Formats: sequence, structure tokens, C-alpha cells
Amino acid sequence: MSQVFIVGQSELPGKVRVGRDEVLDWVFVVLPGVSAEIPLEIDIDGPGAEVSLAGLYLCGGDERVQFDVAVRHNAGDSHSRQFFNGIAGGRSRAAFHGRILVRPDAQRIRAFQENHNILLSEEARVETTPQLEIYADDVECSHGATTGFLNQEEQFYMRSRGIPESEARVLQMISFLSPVLARVSDPAERERLSREVEAAVRSL
Amino acid sequence: MDEIIKDITSQEYKEGFVTEVEQEYVPKGLNEEIIRLISAKKQEPQWLLDFRLDAFRKWQKMKQPAWGHLTLPPIDYQDIIYYAAPKKDSERPKEIDPALAETFEKLGIPLREREALAGVVAVDAVFDSVSVTTTFRKTLSEKGIIFCSFSEAVREHPDLVRRYLASVVPVSDNYFAALNSAVFSDGSFCYIPKGVKCPMELSSYFRINASGTGQFERTLIIADEGSTLSYMEGCTAPMRDENQLHAAVVEIIVEKDADVKYSTVQNWYPGDAEGRGGILNLVTKRGLCRGMGSHLSWTQVETGSAVTWKYPSTILQGDFSASEFYSVAVTNNRQQADTGTKMIHLGRGTRSRIVSKGISAGQSQNSYRGLVQMGPGAVGARNYSQCDSLLIGSRCGAHTFPVIKSLNPTAVVEHEATTSKISEDQLFYCNQRGLGPEEAVGLIVNGYAREVLSRLPMEFAVEAQKLLQVSLEGSIG
Repeated sequence: MSQVFIVGQSELPGKVRVGRDEVLDWVFVVLPGVSAEIPLEIDIDGPGAEVSLAGLYLCGGDERVQFDVAVRHNAGDSHSRQFFNGIAGGRSRAAFHGRILVRPDAQRIRAFQENHNILLSEEARVETTPQLEIYADDVECSHGATTGFLNQEEQFYMRSRGIPESEARVLQMISFLSPVLARVSDPAERERLSREVEAAVRSL
Repeated sequence: MDEIIKDITSQEYKEGFVTEVEQEYVPKGLNEEIIRLISAKKQEPQWLLDFRLDAFRKWQKMKQPAWGHLTLPPIDYQDIIYYAAPKKDSERPKEIDPALAETFEKLGIPLREREALAGVVAVDAVFDSVSVTTTFRKTLSEKGIIFCSFSEAVREHPDLVRRYLASVVPVSDNYFAALNSAVFSDGSFCYIPKGVKCPMELSSYFRINASGTGQFERTLIIADEGSTLSYMEGCTAPMRDENQLHAAVVEIIVEKDADVKYSTVQNWYPGDAEGRGGILNLVTKRGLCRGMGSHLSWTQVETGSAVTWKYPSTILQGDFSASEFYSVAVTNNRQQADTGTKMIHLGRGTRSRIVSKGISAGQSQNSYRGLVQMGPGAVGARNYSQCDSLLIGSRCGAHTFPVIKSLNPTAVVEHEATTSKISEDQLFYCNQRGLGPEEAVGLIVNGYAREVLSRLPMEFAVEAQKLLQVSLEGSIG
């Protein structure tokens, strides 16, 4: 069952240790108007553990949002995923610092990390440092990071079918964030969050 | 499988011999007197001495950086000889010492002008602190190309040197660049005039021979408007139990529409299996794509050195300029490498591409560290990075530390990285088809690094493939 944290409203977890066969499934949501530093340290101490971290951030003004995520695989046969998507507009600063550490002898690890960003304005800034530090060889690790802008060809496609530009942009942003929302396992909660995120996207 | 890896990663370093030649040294240590002495030995003009002294004063105020993912042995800067040169035969001052000629012959570096297998290569051969010879100078000068040692350039083309020296890597850029600016000995200088396509590959070969010394070479390459150049660099050193310091600076200026390709096969002595000795390779390499449509391509194959700390970078200043970085870094035994690139996008529509392949074996640590920055003026700029790591054996480490900064909403940056090992399945597949385990690993590693190796000039590509095999000898297990 996934646990949702609305940054600025929920109390944030910070450091946590994950033992044998435990499952951790967290989703973080940063809505416009919230500035925050979100440090997360996850130590995976037992085999069979599964960690899934997801997050979305939406900044439209003067926000400063920074994620510092460290996932440490101290035991073998564990699995972790990180998936963070963000949109930065206005004069906001968004940063994602993520690290996967695999300790010596922690074999048969699968660890993945993704961070995607969209810049909406000239004055917004995005920084991303996805890092891998790996001391064991029987591993499958990868990370990916991108920064970019809303695709104009997609916008043209939608506009040529009668969708106004502003609505097209909203649709693009929602589809960009929806993979994170899909990580919320409770349907009612997902529905409620999606509505909140949509309202936030429209406010940008 | 462990046996196979072990076999593959333990072959010896065949360039590890010492040349017996009479050499002259400056006294050990570093102070203003030593710098004045080096400058006097090279008969340098006052402005260059002032440049050195200024750099030395700045260096004294700086601290050795510690941010690399490296364990550097402590370096005693007062325990290094900063200048060592083979003595010239007083009777035949114009000729190359036969011992030196033999050394370079043994290393496969032609000092006589002759046709090489795949065409002609002009060489600037540097032995410890001096350039021994530069070949094909006459042929090149007919086209207006200047290719000579740095010391000669200071004497013969002071205006060019003065104009471009430290224009890409400022004196106080970093600790080792400042040290180099204070004590640099020889290196290569190259100027390609407007619209000239260099008819042959130019290359520098650096050889450390004397013990207790460091090598501090300085290379300056200027490609004027619309010119084309392919430049290669190679290096080796004898096997010793001491660590020797190599702190070089390479500066490349690429003007409008010029095209420069810079290739390195770095094969400094890596130290023995227990991590004794080896070269500390701490270098600063940077190019400036100054003009519109200029292009700079870096290709490096890093197999040697006990410690590598190297980030060939490009500043993409001109609109629509482009740069690439292709790298294969192999570490074995107790080698450490922290290498990567910086792509600083300033101009409109600038493009960059990074392909980095790390291979770690033994107990080595291999890191990719990179920066991609999109400045406010980088409208429509684009970057793509791909960094892969291959682990051979369970006691090595592979790390990826990219930094991406975007200050422009029209720029696109993409970064991807993977870490994995050679799978049993791949090896089994090869074995099944009659390939021995070592051959199989060689095949897999070569295939893995192929994208980078294929970018090397022909002469280098063959050499690099062999080196890759040798560097990994004994690592399968």
C-alpha cells in the first residue's frame, strides 16, 4: 500500500531503515507555493526488500524545492526504484540530488532512478545530479535524467484538432506528471490527488 | 569464471623500461628561484617569467582539491625535480641522441620522417622536460601551419603564444593548472591558419624517463577560421615504485567553422598489482569553441596511471558550435580513475554529445564525473549523454556522478547511465562457439567500447584495442 506525503502538510519521514522482505512505497507531492528541502535516507538492510520512491513537484513562482535522496543497498537481493518528475516555472529553483549506493558484497541488486524536468520560463532553474556509487558487480543499475520543455509539435497536433493552446499545455503537463500519480495505489486517493494536481497545473 | 578474469587482468607493462642517458636536472624543490632557473634555462622573455611567478604566487594560496572519488597519496611538492633534460652532445648539437632515438623507436614513435602504415603522422616527441624533435615541420610550414615545441613557439611566435596562453584555462583555474602554469616545461604548439585543412595527423608523444621528477607539459592548439585538424596524444613512463606526478594543461581554441579532433591514448605506468608506484595523472584539458559553427571532438582511451583526474571540457561559446566527448576508461588492480567532461553551453543552438564507457576490474575504482550546463543564452541547445559502466570481478567499484544544470527553457538535456557486469550467459554463448574465456571477454569488452574506439584515427584504434586487451589481462575470475 503506498503512502502519500503532501509536502508542507504531511510530516516528512526523513531517515528510515528497511529490513528483510519489507516493502516501502512512498509518493511525494510538492504543490505550487511550497518551498521545501526534502532529505530522504533509505537504508536497505535485509534481502528481499522492495523500495519504491516517487515524487512530483510543481513550481510556478519563487519556490525553492530540493530533493536529496539517498538509497543505500546494504544487503543483497534487494530492489529499489526512484521516479521523480517536476515542472519549474516563474523564478523557481528546483533541484533533485539522488544517489544509489551499493555496498561491497551486496550482490543481485536491481536499482533504478529517473528524474525528468520541464522548464516553463526563462528565469526558472533546474539542477539534477543522479548518482550511482557501486561496489558490487552482480548488479543491474541505471539512471536517467532529462530537462526540456513542452513539445511544440504535440501542441500543434492538439491545436489543429481544436484544442486551445492553454488547454493543450495543461494536457501535456498532466500527462508528464501522471506516471507519478499512477504510483498511488488507493484509487480514491489517486483520484483526489489527480484533481488537486490538475487544479495546480491550471494555476501555473 | 574468476580464474578467467584473473588471467585477463594481469599482463605486464611493456613500456616500463628506463633509458640510460645523461641528464641535467634543476635542484629538487619548488620556489621562486627554481622557477627563475627553469625560465633562464629555456631562455624565456621577461613576460613569460612574470606569468610563471604570478601563477606560483596564486598556487601558493590555493589548496589541493579533495572532491574527487580518489585516495591520493600525499604529494610533497618540495620533493620533486621540476626540470630534467637529456644532455646534448656538445659535438653534435643538432643531432638527436641515438639513445633517445632508440627509445622512441622502441615505443613505436617514428622520429624520422617516413610513411607510416596508414598515412603520414607528424610527431612532437617530448622526453621529460624537453622536446626532442618535431617532424615534418617543413612540409607543414609550406601550408602555413606552425607545429613545434612550446619553447620554440615562445621564441619564434611570441605574439601568438602571448595572445592565447591561459585564455582557455586561466592561471588560477584550479590547483594543478596553477602549478603547471608556474613550472611547465615543454609541450606542443600548433597553429592552423585560416581555411587550411591539415594534410596529416599531428601528434605529441610524452615520455617520462628520469626518476624523482614530474612532467608538466603545456599544449596550445589554435585552429583559425574554417581550418581542420586531427591531433593525437600518447604517453608512457618507466616502472618505478615511486609515484610520479604528471600535471599537464591543454588549451584548444577553435575559431569560426573550424573543426578539431583531439584523441588521446593514455598509457602511463599504472603501478603494480599491489598499487605501488604509478603515475598520478592530474591534468586540465579544455577547448573553447569560440566561433560560430566551430566543432571540437574529444576521444580518449584511458588505460594507464595509478590515479587519473581528468576532465576534457568544452566551452560552447559560438552559436551553433558542437562538441563531443567519447571516452573509454579502464581500471585494473588498484588503479583509480575519476574522469569525465564538462560541456558548458553558452551560444544559441549549441550541441554536445557524451559517450563514456567505464570498465573496472581487480580492486580498482572507476568514476564518471560530468557537468552539462545550459546557460541563459543557450537557446535551443541540446545535449545527450550516455555513461555505461562494466564491472569485472566483485571487488571493484563503478560510479557515476553527473551534474545537469539548465538555465534555459528551450534547451534539452538527456542523460542515461547503466551499470552491469559481463553475464555468465554471454560468456557461455561465446564458449559454446569455440571461443576461449579470454577471447570471449576481449570480444565482449571490445564490442562494449566499440562506439568510442571507432572514433579514433586508424593508427590509434589498433593500438587502443590491443591496450584494452592487455589492461584487462588476468581480470577474469
